[in-house]
Amino acid sequence: MKEVVVISGKGGTGKTSVTASFAVLGGESLVIGDCDVDADDMHLLLEPDYSNREDFYSGYMAVIDEDKCISCGKCREVCRFKAVAAKDGLYRINEIDCEGCGYCSEICPADAIRMQEAFVGEVFSSKIKSGARMIHARLKAGADNSGKLVARVKKDARTAAERDGRQIILIDGSPGIGCPVISSLTGADYVILVTEPTPSGIHDLKRVYQLVQKFSIRAGLIINKHDINSDAAGELRSFAGDEGIKILAELPYEPDFTKAMTEGLTVVEYKNEGLKKLLASAWAAAKNELNTEENI
Amino acid sequence: MRIAFTSKGQDWDAQMDPRFGRTDYIFLYDDESEETITENNTEIQNAAHGAGPQTARKLFDLSPDVLVTGNGPGGNAAEVLKKAELKIFTGAQNMSVKEAYAAFKEGSLTAI
Repeated sequence: MKEVVVISGKGGTGKTSVTASFAVLGGESLVIGDCDVDADDMHLLLEPDYSNREDFYSGYMAVIDEDKCISCGKCREVCRFKAVAAKDGLYRINEIDCEGCGYCSEICPADAIRMQEAFVGEVFSSKIKSGARMIHARLKAGADNSGKLVARVKKDARTAAERDGRQIILIDGSPGIGCPVISSLTGADYVILVTEPTPSGIHDLKRVYQLVQKFSIRAGLIINKHDINSDAAGELRSFAGDEGIKILAELPYEPDFTKAMTEGLTVVEYKNEGLKKLLASAWAAAKNELNTEENI
Repeated sequence: MRIAFTSKGQDWDAQMDPRFGRTDYIFLYDDESEETITENNTEIQNAAHGAGPQTARKLFDLSPDVLVTGNGPGGNAAEVLKKAELKIFTGAQNMSVKEAYAAFKEGSLTAI
């Protein structure tokens, strides 16, 4: 079983549109994992049935026991997140603002504050329109994605792939270079980088590629909207050449990308044969790379 | 020499865990005393953030000379491990612990 992770560094490059297209092209041979949990969008395109759901807890939140509270206000003084509200001598933690640091609980003279695991959202295992299984999650307002949640989505995806005998796990990775991305990348066999020829696209690609290199994972590149800036596209091509990154596709700027999305379709289901062909050949190239055993 | 492996199980036939911070187990082999120790690290699943440095701390308690793993530690964990002058070898994913030990002995893993 192999694991492919799609990441971008920068947001808005078309990562999720590309991943969802691959999800449709791969059909039932895949298990999909949406690890971009801060902006989980694959469900908009892939029609999951939300057949299984589980609550997910991560990190901690302070809770004040009103019976023990002596209204001294010390918790409010020390809280650097201003998460303690006071009204008529009653103290209360604002769930959205509490970061779970535990300072208040530590210093409370009446021992009235306990730290409890914070409910942050739900994890789903769904059947999607291609017939494949997708593991995805939804965070409640104000909750963060974490390495823990990403590891959970990937673990469930792996279990489903083993159970159903699927060969490839396709992961929509999280943005940036922090903990969730590290958790998305570790254990992956191949990385697909999706970028655009803009200064921030190039900058963020290079930054996230450092991380990919640190983990010694082979990578392929998709340059989306390659025709909006030929100089920047050239810079991306030579970066890929220098680093030994295979260019899997160069996609033109095309309003049909967005039109497909507004109709709830992946790009490969939309009536644009040109884009469909490019994405199909990119997916074939990625699968081919995945099956070459050599490691860097 | 004490060699630590990141593994998914508790014996020589267990698969290697390619992850450092979120590895399920640390398997340690002392090739002088021929003794093995397994450290259960599955509790790390509960860490929302900072899995790498926490696992590094657990690793130090076993005082290994060498670490054999898959992808290698991330930035923060690598920083910590460097201070301990531990030799780190990566590229041991998709193997059993036994195979990873053989690969380490042959010198076919990547030193970082």
